[in-house]
Amino acid sequence: MTQDARVQEFVTAFDGLRAEGEKVIVGPREIITHVLVGMFAGGHVLLEGAPGLGKTLLVKTLSECLELSFARIQFTPDLMPADIIGTNIIVEDAEGRKHFQFQPGPIFAHVLLADEINRATPKTQSALLEGMQEASVTVGGASRPLPAPFFVLATQNPIEMEGTYPLPEAQLDRFLLKLRVRYPAIEELNAIIDRTTHAHPVSVERVVSGAKVLAFRELIREVPVASHVRDFASGVVMATHPQWGDAPEITRRFVRYGASPRGAQALILGAKVRALSEGRYNVSIDDLKALAAPALRHRVILNFEGEAEGIDVDNLVSQIVESVEATATRAKEPFLR
Amino acid sequence: MAHPETLDRLVRSVATQVRRRRAEHHALRGAFWAALPAVIVMALKGPIGPYAMVIGLALVPLGALVGAVWGLARGTSQADAARLADRAFALEDRVATALEWADRPDRTPLVDALVADAVVRVGALSPRTIVRRILPREARFLPVPVLAVIVLALAPAVPMPSTYLPDFTPGGEEEEKEARTGAGPLEQRSPREARERLRPPSFEERDFAARSGAASASTGGDLSAVFKDTSLSSQRPDFNSLLKKGDERLKLLEQVDRLPDLASDFTTSQYKMVFKKTKALASGMRPNDISPSKLKELLEEMERLGRKGGNWTGEVGEGMEALEGGHNDRALEAMQKALDKMRAQEDAQRSGKGLRGGRDNERGGGGRDRGEGGYPDDMDFGDGEGLLPGKGKSASPKGEASRRLQASPYDVGVEGESRRGRKDGFDTNMTGRGGQMSSRLQYLGVIGQYRKMMEDAITRESVPRDYHSQIKDYFQALDER
Repeated sequence: MTQDARVQEFVTAFDGLRAEGEKVIVGPREIITHVLVGMFAGGHVLLEGAPGLGKTLLVKTLSECLELSFARIQFTPDLMPADIIGTNIIVEDAEGRKHFQFQPGPIFAHVLLADEINRATPKTQSALLEGMQEASVTVGGASRPLPAPFFVLATQNPIEMEGTYPLPEAQLDRFLLKLRVRYPAIEELNAIIDRTTHAHPVSVERVVSGAKVLAFRELIREVPVASHVRDFASGVVMATHPQWGDAPEITRRFVRYGASPRGAQALILGAKVRALSEGRYNVSIDDLKALAAPALRHRVILNFEGEAEGIDVDNLVSQIVESVEATATRAKEPFLR
Repeated sequence: MAHPETLDRLVRSVATQVRRRRAEHHALRGAFWAALPAVIVMALKGPIGPYAMVIGLALVPLGALVGAVWGLARGTSQADAARLADRAFALEDRVATALEWADRPDRTPLVDALVADAVVRVGALSPRTIVRRILPREARFLPVPVLAVIVLALAPAVPMPSTYLPDFTPGGEEEEKEARTGAGPLEQRSPREARERLRPPSFEERDFAARSGAASASTGGDLSAVFKDTSLSSQRPDFNSLLKKGDERLKLLEQVDRLPDLASDFTTSQYKMVFKKTKALASGMRPNDISPSKLKELLEEMERLGRKGGNWTGEVGEGMEALEGGHNDRALEAMQKALDKMRAQEDAQRSGKGLRGGRDNERGGGGRDRGEGGYPDDMDFGDGEGLLPGKGKSASPKGEASRRLQASPYDVGVEGESRRGRKDGFDTNMTGRGGQMSSRLQYLGVIGQYRKMMEDAITRESVPRDYHSQIKDYFQALDER
């Protein structure tokens, strides 16, 4: 198969998944696109939004479009780690001998929906850490690999904060992207009403198999990145650090901690998926700009002044990107050098 | 994989455009900087001679030529040119990426597809100029020296100052003519002749006859006539009158109690000293140009003065806050308000005692030990006294506040009735007997400190953001009482 055909196949699969998602989900197209970007980049996605905006429905629909196993965990304060990863139970065989047998938990699925993840205790949340990072879990001293591809889609509600346990920074960092699901516009709300109150529910088709998803992940890593584009990504991530010498003023004033190297990885990987989904064979600066907010918004921690002033992290990241772009344009302008 | 010719051609074209623009840019700069010495040369065309015209007119194009050569000689990297092409033709970094990855050993199969895609897209482009012209700053001012060169070239030579010494002697025209025509420069004359010319004229040659006021005719050469002043010599000193007036003045001097206390009123005036410093600091400067450290020193000095009983510490506190926030203009404004209050207090004090004459301890009872005739408004608290609630001395006719509170916890008020208008403090809130009591709280003197303490506490204690405005509003309401 030629490279053009491989890329075209990916574009078809990507567009097909997005179209199936849009059959069910009404709302901004970029949410579905970014969820798919996170999945094909091999990362996990955190969806944040008010109740009833279709976060769970989006994930369920996506899993139906993929020929992959799906599991859902509703996080509650009394949920225990064993409820997620599984446990050894005593079973008796036909001869009456008893032995321990591992009973896998819901984490052993291709697509895992961690619904309202911030309602579980940190101990239970951390049970997801190893699975998300290493794609394996350890139970009773034995490490067990998770099925591939393994993809966690977590949701959290930002307004009901009583009785919740905000995700620690280490766990937030393990999500490739954090997406904010906004409230629909009135036209979108009308469409939601029409679709969900109709006698015949919408059905979706399976578009991509698990093996294809893995093949696409390899293809995505082949997308070349020019050095100046890579430098731009590094510059944006470094500019989120107030201690960095060339950090913009807004960072120095409002940011306590900047993005980790995972932020740069997320930027480049996400940009590769975006480029390929548009049928392009290379990453451009525009891809990075489009992915900057979802990849960095949960990795930038505001200081007290930033919190007190009510600084919006998305605006902050946007200004940082503009600042880095202006600096890069000035420095790289061959005419002025 | 070799670079496709199409991509190379595009990059070369862009690099050429860049060099051309650079040449224009540096040619303009070179012309400007060469025009400056050309103006000087043209201004000196008289002394320099006929070559000045040639040099002056040749300098400008020569500078432009050197600049253009400099611009053309500077190279442009392939990556930069490719990036410019990507940006100008909306190629989304295809050309730069393709050129960078085409020769890399670790290139992936997708790179071949990328190069092919880039070639197709570049081939479909129509060539155009993409590098915009950037005029240097000097280009705006270039017409000025160029015009000056042209004007100076057309105008006659500028006259240069002569090396001859001017002749100040009232000699005849013949000598002058001789000096201009026959004689050379001073160095070429004979030493004797030069000595003769530079010899100072004698006093005997002066004519004092026209001097006004000279009653008697003076003889020629009489130097003493200069000092003859008949208008003065006709008068004789009246020592009796002087002694008579002097006696009265001496008697006045003996009555030291009636002399105004100039030192107290003017020399040691706090307002005047601070006002002078403020004026020296801010005169002729914009607020942003004033040194924040100097401003802070001045505000601290005013705050120190304010602690001794002034009511301007609130304004000083505001000034400090503004200064910390980097708002020099607001700090100056607050300082001006504080100065106004200082002046008002000075005026109030002077109107009561300064012009009455006599010593300070005899004006109204004197200082802290003043008795019945004292002025309550002049009360001067010592350091740490009267600035905070519960401190300071009470002269209440009802007894000390502590005892009264022990006896009746509700008896915390002072006698009198509220005066209309804005209050400077609790003490001026009263008329009648209450207004005469010396134990009081300088309200506006401490509210600034309390507000600053509140700001610090908000920051230190991590007060929730929603409560910030509520707390600030409360203190604002206190300040507006």
